[in-house]
Formats: sequence, C-alpha cells, structure tokens
Amino acid sequence: MTEALVAFSMVVAAYFVLWNTSQIVMGGVASRFVWRYLRRRTPRNRALVGRLASPPVVSLIVPAYNEALTIVDSIRALLALEYESREIVIVNDGSSDDTLALLRRTFSMLPAPVAFPNPLSCAAVRGIYRSVRQPDLIVIDKENGGCKSDAANAGINAASGKLVMIIDADTVLEPDALSRAVLPFLEDPSTIAVGGNVAVANGCRIEDGRIGEVAMPRSWLARFQIVEYMRSFLLFRLACASANGVVLISGAFGLFRRDAMIAVGGYDRTAIGEDMDLTVRLQQFYRTQRRPFHIAFDPLPLCSTQVPEDIQSLRLQRCRWRRGLLQVLWRRRRLIGNPRAGVVGTLVLPYIAVFEGLGPLLEVSGYAITAAAAALGLVEWRHFRLLLLISFLFGASVTLLAVLLSDVTTRRYWRSRDLALLMAAAVLENCGYRQLNAWWGCVGTVQAWTGTGKWGEMKRRAFEP
Amino acid sequence: MIDVLTDTERLALWLLWADIALVLIMAGAVLIGRLVSAYALARLQHFERVYQPLAHRALTGDAVACRMLVASPWRHRVPIAWLLISPLIDDRDPRRIVATRAIAGALSLVTIAEQYMRSRWWWRRALALRALGLMQQGSHTGDMLAALDDSNPDVRGAALDALADLHDPATLPAIVARLQDTSLQRGRRAAVIAAFGSQCEPFVLELAERDPASRLNYARMLGICGTARARPALSTWTADARPDVRAAAFEALAHIGLDERSATLAIRGLESADVKVRSMAAYALHGWTGAGDPAAHLARHLDDAWTVAVRAAQSLLEMKEIGRAELANWARHGGLAGLLARQMLWQAHLPR
Repeated sequence: MTEALVAFSMVVAAYFVLWNTSQIVMGGVASRFVWRYLRRRTPRNRALVGRLASPPVVSLIVPAYNEALTIVDSIRALLALEYESREIVIVNDGSSDDTLALLRRTFSMLPAPVAFPNPLSCAAVRGIYRSVRQPDLIVIDKENGGCKSDAANAGINAASGKLVMIIDADTVLEPDALSRAVLPFLEDPSTIAVGGNVAVANGCRIEDGRIGEVAMPRSWLARFQIVEYMRSFLLFRLACASANGVVLISGAFGLFRRDAMIAVGGYDRTAIGEDMDLTVRLQQFYRTQRRPFHIAFDPLPLCSTQVPEDIQSLRLQRCRWRRGLLQVLWRRRRLIGNPRAGVVGTLVLPYIAVFEGLGPLLEVSGYAITAAAAALGLVEWRHFRLLLLISFLFGASVTLLAVLLSDVTTRRYWRSRDLALLMAAAVLENCGYRQLNAWWGCVGTVQAWTGTGKWGEMKRRAFEP
Repeated sequence: MIDVLTDTERLALWLLWADIALVLIMAGAVLIGRLVSAYALARLQHFERVYQPLAHRALTGDAVACRMLVASPWRHRVPIAWLLISPLIDDRDPRRIVATRAIAGALSLVTIAEQYMRSRWWWRRALALRALGLMQQGSHTGDMLAALDDSNPDVRGAALDALADLHDPATLPAIVARLQDTSLQRGRRAAVIAAFGSQCEPFVLELAERDPASRLNYARMLGICGTARARPALSTWTADARPDVRAAAFEALAHIGLDERSATLAIRGLESADVKVRSMAAYALHGWTGAGDPAAHLARHLDDAWTVAVRAAQSLLEMKEIGRAELANWARHGGLAGLLARQMLWQAHLPR
C-alpha cells in the first residue's frame, strides 16, 4: 500500500515538474515571438491602415444579454475607436433588464427596416433599430437564443463587413485595437482570424469609454485573475501562435473573416465553450481542406474585460469553462494525435488534453490521497509538504515568468506598488487560489459527465468613472 | 522500498532547491526587467527634453540649434534621428521634409542609415529604408528598389513603404512591375498604388496590354488608381472570358465612374449568369443617371441574390430622385426587394 502511495506521489510530482517545465519552455518561445512582434511594431507599420484608399470594413458584433450596467460605456468606446471603416451591430439577446430601452434612449434609436441574408441559423429577430445620430450603429433585438453563440450568429448574419469582430458587451477596447488587429489581414491574405491579449479592467479608471488610469484592483481575487490571464495569454497562446496553432480566440476579442466563419457554420449553439469550439473548427476546416491559412495573435492588450470579484460568479465561470473545454476535447477527439491536423493534432490538443484536461483531477487527487495517506500514517507528512512546496514554487516561478513577459511587453502596471502587488499575487495565487481552481475543475468535470451545471450570471459592476 | 523512498526524497529535495532558485531568478528577472525598462524610458524622456526643442528650432531654420545638434555625441545620433524623422510619418509637408533632410545631412544620419542598410539584422535594414523614404532621400532610390528583393519580408515591406514615401515618379515602372509579386504584403502594395494615384495608371495599362493573363490584378490596381483614361480598357475587359476579371473590371469602373458605353455594358452585365459579375455591374451603376434607364434595370434586381440585391439597392439610393422614385415603387412590395427598398428610403432620411 505504501509503495503504491509513494509511486502515486511520484507520478503527481513528476506531472507538476513536466507541466511547469513545459510552461517555462513556452515562455522561451513566447519571448521570441514578443521580441519579433516588438521589432515589427513600428509607427510606420501602424500608419499603413490610414494610407489605404479603402481599408476593410469591420463589423463589430456585440452580443448583449442583461448588460445594462456596462453597455453604454462599451458602445461609446467602440464609437471612439481610431478606425473609421466600421459598423457596430449590437445584438440584444432577449434581455430581461432595460438594455434595449437604455440603448434606444441613449443613442436615439428608431425601428428601421434592415435586410440581411441568413446564412447562419439563430432565434427569431423581433426588431431592428438604427441610430439617427450614429448611422453605423445597429441594434438587432431578438428572442433569447439561450446562448451567446445564437446572438453572435445573428450579428454575423447582419454584418456587412468582410471582417467581423465578436466582443463581449463588457469589453473595453484599446483605441487603436482595430487598426492593430486589421494589420495581419493586410499583410497576409491567408489570415482568417486575429486573437488578442485580454487585460483585466478591474481597478482601472474608465474615461469616455476608454481605459484611463491603470491600477491594480483592491480585490485579491481579481489580482489572482490578472496574473492568471497573463500566464494564459502570454505563455501558452503565444507559444501556439508562433506555430500557427492557436486553438482559442477569446470571446472577449476576436476578429474573423466573415466568409471563414460562415464556411464553418458560425458559432455552434450547442457548444459551451463557443470561442474555443469555433477556433478549433477553423483550424480543422482549413487544415483538412489543405487551404493556406493563418491565425494571428497580438500580444499587446487589445481590450480589457471585467473579471468576477466574488467567489460564486468565479466558481460558475470556471465550472463552465471546464465543461466547455471537456466538450471541445470530446467532440474533436479524432483530431488529438492526428497528424493530418498538423501541429494542432500532434502537439496543441494533446498538450491541452494531458495538462488541462487531466490537470485538475491529478492535482486534487494528488493532494487528497497524499494527505489521507499521511493522516493514516502510510507515508510521512513531510512527503505531503514536499509535494505541496514543489507545486507551489514551480507554479510561482512560471507565473513570475508571465509577469516578466507582460511587464516588458505592455508596461501596463507601471507603478512600483502595482508591480509589487503583481509579484505578490504571482506567489500567493499558489496558496489556495490555484488549488481552488483545480477543485472547481473537478466539479466542472463531474458536471460535464452528468450533464448538469448552468451558465450562471456574473455579478457586474459599473465601470468606475 | 526504503531505498526508493530515500531516493525519491533526495530527488524531491533537489527539486525543491531548484524550485527556490528558479523563483528567485524569476523574481530577480522581473525586477531587473523593470529597472531596464525604467532606465530606457528615462533615457528617452531625457533625449526628448534635451533634443526635442533643438530639433524644433533647427527645423525652423535656427542655425544655432542646428550647430548644437551637430555637436551632440555620436551615440546620441540614433535617438535624435528618431525625434527628427518619426514626425514625418504623419506630417508630409514638403518644407518639413526638405528641412529634415538638410539637418540629417549635417548630422551624418544618412551615413548611419547606409551602415544600417548593410547590417545583417533585418530590423536595422528596415529602419534605415523607412528613414530614407520618409526623408525622400532620392540618392538612395536604387537601394530601395534593390531592397524589394531582400530575403526578409519585413525589409521588402519597408522598401515598399520607403518607395511610397519617396514618391518619385521615376521609380514607378519598377514598382508597378513588382506589384504582382505576392511575396510583397498585399496592404503595402495597395498603399503604394494609393500613394502614387493616377500616376501609376499609364504603366498599369501598358503592362496589362502586354500581359493579358494577369488582367485580374491590373483591374484591381485600376480600381485604386484608374481615371477616365482606363475606361476603354476596362470596358473591353468586361467581356473577358473569366468572370473574376469581368467582376473586377466593373468594380474598377465603379470607382472611376461610367460613360455611355461602359454604362451600357454595366446594364448588360446585370444579366450575367455569374453572381459576382451582376453584383459588380450593379455597383458600377451607382450614381449613373444617363441613358439606358439604369434605375429600372437595377430595381428588377432587388430580389436577386443577396450580394446583387444589396448593391442594386445602394446604387439606386445614390441615384437621388430617379433611384428613390424607383425605391418608393418597390417599398410597397413584400420580400427582400420591398425590405431593401424600405431600408434605403429610411437611410436616405438619416442626417449625415
């Protein structure tokens, strides 16, 4: 019995070492990507969009469900974007709050006839409103489709731009986000999508719908999520991007070629993690059809979004993310290990399956079984402490690497106090927050297995003026 | 078993120490990274504080300021070059360009750029090309053209940027001949045509005559730089056997504007079997209120395939009274045609 427990502890420790080592390797790949990106990011390069006779039209699609608190700020930020060739399509997905009334009142919107094709299926449209003050602002009021995908599909149907950007209603875009995101499409005609780094808006001051002063939030839960986002966006996704293997363009910000989205059938309304599902399907479609394609990724923050600051909202979000991940892995299981799917099949999806799919289960069972064995006297407590310490320190070093990359690339949290808080969060997130996430991962797995679980609503706060 | 436990423990302890070292290294790296960033920022701000006012004064012809810039240490030349040249990206005032070029000559910045052009590092070559282009350094046109064949795509892109900024008509034949090179970034190719505008047109037409196989690309180029002079060629291309070429020719005509002959062809194009051709023919007719009763022809396509219908509706909207009268007739209908007509009439009343 003792032998088996020791062997199990060794497996778990080896798993931690492998996982974190792989993250450090990814840090190296990501650093190279960032270095090249920063070399290419010249002011003359950024001026390219302005020098085109007709830059591509971008349709900004904002699915909104009960977003009355933040929708007006978000639209103001969209209207202030430094990119003229754009239209804004708000899809009110049957909100039960006064989202629609607020929009009509604030932007002088009237019912208007608008014709558009319907290549993607979605719930019935109740009415279409256009602003008499902002001619490029359209609101589609539709029956609740039960998911964001349905609203996004309605927006894609109504979009007249060749490029469509799907963003969350609580997303605040950087003023130059669109001109930066459009660049890869101008440079490489095979570009089908551009994803971006998403920063956390909590703690920041919003001025005229834009991020004004950036500061660390007061809540430690939000601080932990900041370093978590850095780790996710600046290590794994950049490493994937350097091999054209991006499998997740975050729902908070994604710019896509409309024809590519329609070719794969738009968002799958039954998908829980609709953003990952769509990106993986795009990868699958273009790779199996052997068509040239490129999914680009911008390492500088293109937008900021609010993260939950209460345990309940965070738990629901993480369980949902977990169910979404497992659903995508299950549905695309034939791609895992499939050389026809290129780097996505041979490297990215197997990595996700092993380290993100199994990760929480191994982590939680590792802690639980070793602790139980120590309590029963089968192994010594110092084995448990060693396992905890190794996991803690490795985790901290990987997160600090992400903080380093973020600091060099974005210089977002410039005040020394904020940097100190970031470093503290990078270390402290391993003392409970990470384990809590792993636990929610297990809960999400059970929910996915039993078909339970709900979407949940995040308690939002209006942006600080 | 005791051996295994001892070995495991030893390994775990070793890992623990490695972990502690790693955390300390990472924390140190974050702090050092921040110090380096802060130093770089402070240095930049120092240069701005010291040299920005001098650069402003030198640009207005202040000889003393210019002498002070020339007396600056050699290692400060690249930051000074940045302060002097980067505003030229947005400000293309010829007087400013000439003044910047003169100061750059006095500061030997062109010599530095020449050294950078020979550098093995691509970003230095690209930087030098952009600087020379922004300053319209005509003496280096040959280098810019040669850089179109550089092994690095970013340097090739920078060469196109530089040639667009140089704006020397003498380079046009060489540029236009390279515009079909798909290894050059698409957006940059479009930007260079837009920069030269109608000056490109004769070369495009000449090349198109010699190379009918690439008409599609030439039609697209004429869509950006074409004038009335390109109409006869484009009108001929509307009868090309390839639907893509026909559609691109109608699209280019939409940008240039129609005459009676091309309008007749566009009306005929509305009956094409190819959706793209019909759509672009409808687009070409926007604003044409001359012979051929275009409004009636367009109105009949309001319930065509979506891309044709929407182009027809927009063209009718732009025909003012004639088009709007036709839209008003169709607004009473149901289906796509009626909805599109109502939408266009609604848009017509929006304050712009």
